[in-house]
Amino acid sequence: MSGTLTVEGIYTAYDKANVLEDVSLEAEKGKITCLLGSNGSGKSTLIRSILGLTPPNQGRIGFAGTTLTGLPTHKVIATGIACIPEGRKVFPKLTVEENLRLGGYQESSPAVITERLDKVYETFPRLRERKDQLAGTMSGGEQAMVSIGRGLMSAPKLLLIDEPSLGLSPLLVKENFNIIRGINELGITIFLVEQNVHQTLAIADFGYVLTKGRVVASGTPEKLSKTTEVHQAYFG
Amino acid sequence: MDVGYLAQYVMNGLMLGMMYALVAVGFTLFFGVLDVIKFSHGDVLTVGAFAGLATYLGLDLLGISSPVVLVLCVLSVSALCMALLGALIARYLVLPLRSAPPLNTLLITLMLGTVLRESVRLFYPQGANPKPFPALLPTDSVTMGNFNLRLDNVMMLFAGTIVIVGVHLLLTRTKLGLAIRAVAQDEETAKTMGINFKLIVLITFGLGSALAAFAGIMNGLYYNEINFGMGLLLGVIGFSSAIVGGLGNIYGAILGGFLFAALQTVGAVAMPFASAYKDVFAFGVIILIMAWRPTGLIREKVSERV
Repeated sequence: MSGTLTVEGIYTAYDKANVLEDVSLEAEKGKITCLLGSNGSGKSTLIRSILGLTPPNQGRIGFAGTTLTGLPTHKVIATGIACIPEGRKVFPKLTVEENLRLGGYQESSPAVITERLDKVYETFPRLRERKDQLAGTMSGGEQAMVSIGRGLMSAPKLLLIDEPSLGLSPLLVKENFNIIRGINELGITIFLVEQNVHQTLAIADFGYVLTKGRVVASGTPEKLSKTTEVHQAYFG
Repeated sequence: MDVGYLAQYVMNGLMLGMMYALVAVGFTLFFGVLDVIKFSHGDVLTVGAFAGLATYLGLDLLGISSPVVLVLCVLSVSALCMALLGALIARYLVLPLRSAPPLNTLLITLMLGTVLRESVRLFYPQGANPKPFPALLPTDSVTMGNFNLRLDNVMMLFAGTIVIVGVHLLLTRTKLGLAIRAVAQDEETAKTMGINFKLIVLITFGLGSALAAFAGIMNGLYYNEINFGMGLLLGVIGFSSAIVGGLGNIYGAILGGFLFAALQTVGAVAMPFASAYKDVFAFGVIILIMAWRPTGLIREKVSERV
């Protein structure tokens, strides 16, 4: 299906040791799909595999009718994928606006960029006030806004979000999840990788559980919140 | 000291500083995007100067004598050829070595520098001898007391300033510059923004090498002579300038270049020893500054790989 992300039996390794083994999953178009797993389960590696930063040795990843496996990262992005990376990864020595402009790097029309900038500034008025500030000098919550806004600047079809709640206060975490739901309501497919089980399942349409590089459970949030795998994945 | 002499020294120092700054900016750009030291940079400068000379001789054979056409052709052919050479070096020598220890890149470009230098010596007609470089710019001068202000020097300083300001504007005001700065700060995140990483690296190496070509032509015009070994010392000076300024920071590189020229000038005229010791003095002070501020005068990022 176009607009759906499909991961089919991928194996990804760093230095020959497999981190992901035979991982298959799907992020359906228009939905919020989540991947739960504890630290070191391979969640971020999966995001890196999709983006082509750590390409899988085996298996296939496809999106919107294109095979992503084997493509360099900038071509993966060109298919309509954006990423809000783990730890926000704002460019510390660039201004807020420069960070946002980089999010729309592949868009060549300045008019479209200005329009999208305005939209991001409407969503996060704080960023407009601080548009000339260096992103590295902002608070964690503000950096999260930059990172989210930057992810929206390319008007992506699919947004990969890696641990948005990491290092944020509980209040900000809640706010962040509301924002993610809002983004999804704009029609953007979301693939969300998280450790925070309850908040994640509260907004997700479908979920997978990853343990030691393998998918051990999948299902609707209702089903997942009852399965023992989720508990085992976290509490062993 | 006589004001005229002083003005003369300042002018000479500025000319040298401009050349060093241009070379240092190249080093700092390469380190910025790839965290590597490209040691062949000085020899690319030499090849650029010889490419400029060959262009001049070719045009001369064709009977072209308009100085404006000559200067523009010499500069653009040299800059374009060196941009291409720089991009090729990045594509076939530097990028493939990314997974190897950084020391390998340093070594391989050091060896490449020797190959370039020896190639000029062996393959350029009578390349082992110094070559007269044509005075392409008007050499009129104004004499004020002991100060002899030459028009060609003023033009070169002006052109060098324009080039440096141009690089600054390119980096700070254009989309390409934004991409270069993004890659320099965080390669992976830059990639996930949709930036074609390899292309940006090739462009950056092309840009830095074109600057070296410009510095090489400037050197030829200033001394009216070029030789196959000219890039060796200029490379080391440019490298030291980039480090002392703060590797990865272009303002640091510019500052370092002019600082080195100032030290040389002071060493040559204001010290109680012969002017032949000016390089010893300049490098000595640079070593002291590096001991005082190991990360450079303008700190950019820790050069843990050097």
